[in-house]
Amino acid sequence: MRAALLLTLLPLPALAQDPAIAPFTEETASAGFAHSFMGEWEFMVGGGTAVFDCNGDARPDIFAAGGTNPAVLFVNASAPAGPLAFTRTEAGLEETSVSGAYPLDIDGDGTLDLALLRVGPDRLMRGLGDCQFEDASAQWGFDGLDLWSTAFAATWEKGATLPTLAIGTYIDRTQEAFPWGNCTPNHLYRPNAQGTGYDAPLPLEPGHCALSILFTDWDRQGTPDLRVSNDREYYKGGQEQLWHVEPGQPPRLFTEAEGWQRLRIWGMGIAQEDLNFDGFPEFFLTSMADNKLQTLAEIPADDPPLPRYRDIALKSGVTAHRPYTGGDLRPSTAWHAQFGDVNNDGLSDLYVVKGNVWAMPDFAEDDPNNLLLGRADGTFLESGDKAGVASMAQGRGGALVDLNADGLLDMIAINRNEPSQLWRNTGTGLGNWIALDLVLPGPNRNAIGAWIELRRPDGKVMQREVQVGGGHVGGILVPHHFGLGTATSAEIRILWPDGTTGDWQTLAANGTWRLEPGAEPIPLPAN
Amino acid sequence: MNIFKGFSATLTIALCLFAPLPAQASDDRTQVLGTWYRMILELVRHTPTQTPPVASRSFAYTALIAYEATASGSDRLQTLAGQVNGLPPAPPREAGATYDEDVVLNAALGLAVEVYFANTGPTGQRAKAALAKQLGTLTAEGVDPDTLARSQAYGIALAETIIAASTTDGGAVIENMGFPMTYTLGGEPQDWVPTNLIQLQQAPLLPAWGKNRPLTLPDGEACPLPPPPAYSEDPSSPFYKEAMEVYEVSKSLTDEQKTIARFWSDDPMLSPTPPGHWVAIIFQIAERDRMPIEDQVNALVRLGMAVSDGFIVNWRDKYKYDLLRPVTYIRRVIDPKWEPILNTPPFPEYPSGHSTQSGAAAQVLTAVFGEPFAFTDSTHVDDGLAPRDFPDFWTAANEAGISRLYGGIHFRAAIDLGLSQGACVGDFVNALQTWK
Repeated sequence: MRAALLLTLLPLPALAQDPAIAPFTEETASAGFAHSFMGEWEFMVGGGTAVFDCNGDARPDIFAAGGTNPAVLFVNASAPAGPLAFTRTEAGLEETSVSGAYPLDIDGDGTLDLALLRVGPDRLMRGLGDCQFEDASAQWGFDGLDLWSTAFAATWEKGATLPTLAIGTYIDRTQEAFPWGNCTPNHLYRPNAQGTGYDAPLPLEPGHCALSILFTDWDRQGTPDLRVSNDREYYKGGQEQLWHVEPGQPPRLFTEAEGWQRLRIWGMGIAQEDLNFDGFPEFFLTSMADNKLQTLAEIPADDPPLPRYRDIALKSGVTAHRPYTGGDLRPSTAWHAQFGDVNNDGLSDLYVVKGNVWAMPDFAEDDPNNLLLGRADGTFLESGDKAGVASMAQGRGGALVDLNADGLLDMIAINRNEPSQLWRNTGTGLGNWIALDLVLPGPNRNAIGAWIELRRPDGKVMQREVQVGGGHVGGILVPHHFGLGTATSAEIRILWPDGTTGDWQTLAANGTWRLEPGAEPIPLPAN
Repeated sequence: MNIFKGFSATLTIALCLFAPLPAQASDDRTQVLGTWYRMILELVRHTPTQTPPVASRSFAYTALIAYEATASGSDRLQTLAGQVNGLPPAPPREAGATYDEDVVLNAALGLAVEVYFANTGPTGQRAKAALAKQLGTLTAEGVDPDTLARSQAYGIALAETIIAASTTDGGAVIENMGFPMTYTLGGEPQDWVPTNLIQLQQAPLLPAWGKNRPLTLPDGEACPLPPPPAYSEDPSSPFYKEAMEVYEVSKSLTDEQKTIARFWSDDPMLSPTPPGHWVAIIFQIAERDRMPIEDQVNALVRLGMAVSDGFIVNWRDKYKYDLLRPVTYIRRVIDPKWEPILNTPPFPEYPSGHSTQSGAAAQVLTAVFGEPFAFTDSTHVDDGLAPRDFPDFWTAANEAGISRLYGGIHFRAAIDLGLSQGACVGDFVNALQTWK
């Protein structure tokens, strides 16, 4: 008689070591967060949000792409630890055809700027302070091209006075009947020799319809490479990509001879985090049906690792391949992804925004967002329904970010053709936390490319790279949040982008600290 | 004016596609057929449910619709009604009335594409609509309103008749992209087990597909295969030797063998699938040889039914024998770290699906075109794979079969017997009468 092995596709039962659920309360309406990312075919992707402090009040403000609607800036008026409150503000950012945005301080003046990605020419918007912006594209010599932009990343190459920008693009939108195989190139924008603006964009060819790109020092060699996640729906002969981007050198693709393994997915978002505390980041790649969680296949003792990854999504419980609640059992469609510790237990959790592309009948229409809580054994527990964030809306972009200065990560979902959503983390009795505001003198004010090391009570060191990019057409640039569990202080060390290493410092929990090379940590008020 | 330039010259086609047809009514059916099939091949690639068995069914029914639409107005072709299982007679045309054959074919194919690719994504929907509008406008030019309306109505009625018949064949509804929500693995050493870490594919693809109603076979028991070599881990056993062959070949693959493996990989969602590969070959030949419309639909319908029935009997035997894949056996018995160069498909090994359907394709295309019949296969040029030349269809089919061994996803018995099974299926198709 054959042994019957029934494959169960139901969620695993809760385990004794399951993490604490962080409860969320939706405050979309009460917070004044009235917004939708609107549009048809050219806005079936996109819908990113950029979250950053545009008026220096230490409370993150929300910029949301609007598609055919004008983009919107919501200025944060939340009281510390209070309900979320936002005020829609005219900011000079009310462009239409915006697919997403990323904050960064391009000109190093201490005020964050904003890269606007559009279905049409992209724009670099200079922050003027007090949440006002002006188009500085021409002044910075930035040619935004007339493409369908869907991905962004930035890095400061060594010695550069301006960031190097990478912009990913999607389909040649003039190809109505046969768009397949018509991916447009991505582009690299490097500073000119004078450091006053940008040279002409350098095509990164072939383009394979990128929906997320990220500069990452994945091999810890000190120079970030450019990871590109591509949508296999539209490319021919394409795959995921990793580009060498070395100062003064033309970019070039990693090859199979260098260890790169061909992977072809409906790539839509990249999230990076060192989940196993080995100093090398894992990558979560969103897609349709199964998502990927990649960890390096091998870390040689004496040599740099090769870019060969194992997919550990299945054993980690983060395939997130179908809805876990609501009864629609068709495969899922995942977009934005971001790691963050929502219950402050010291283990990274994973937020995934879900939503049908556009009435695709083979995929779930009622596709709840995921909030996967990290366990100590490296697996994750789905908590979206219990946490109250299992939105069935057609999600695209999103963010996990502390919006009300209480040390708890709140949640944003940008939805397509229906209202976007905002949740306040209303957990009590969760773990301690710390947030770190890294500051550098000179052009790279926010220390993009630094690594934050946090030594845990068990002696393991969690390492996080300071990045601009990834996700789905949006990102956050706020003090870096870490959960600490029961620890009342945190041991922190910064590996600065110039290669210098700061000292280990013990910082008190439950506060935000400003860290600058050679300076004492400064506690920042919650305002 | 020729708006169909062949499947490899994508840019050329795109530029020429919407150039105006002549104002007067003319026979542009080859252009209509070719343009719709270019769309079909893209939709197969870009519609998640169109796994190879499902795609083969789509090719069969769209070809039947194209064939019957053409035959209904032809004095060279006869209907397949009465010869093909479940195929009803085409609606009669009005005696003495005029029909525009471009319009009939375009209307019939437009509906066929709408139905068989109803679940494609937003880009496919947009593309279908754009093409239907363009071809509808162009084929209507110069046609008087009465003839236009009559011809459109006839094409749609004909397509509806065949579509209705197809709903009862067992393959019309695909859920969860073809993967069952629950599945009981066999549990014996020789039984198939999942071979990847994709959660959706922990159950095998379409386990009931072998129960579908075939189009040309007398019943579902036709073209049976003997069991594969008995499972054994004994190094002297035939099974072990088969596995060792796959292993050793993988360790010494030549560049040519790697090229062959990738050329015939034909992965779903990344290519037009194995049956689509053969459809693409037909259109390349049609373009090269400027085949008349009757010859094109004759070849297409025979090919479509051959690959569709081939997948039915192949899938029947896959789940009858439920054999494990080389990657499972080799890692268990020979080398725990072994990696094949192709991704192992998520369903049982024996017989090889590509081999069965390629054997069926070769058998019918040899009958249609004769032997030898040299052709160049440029199907994957857009994906960066160079064209390959073949002296005849069976050389191509044999190469498709052995590519699965080079790729490390099939044992030799599955290939050899799969090709034979395909030839058996092809013989049933070859027995059909299409010419008057």
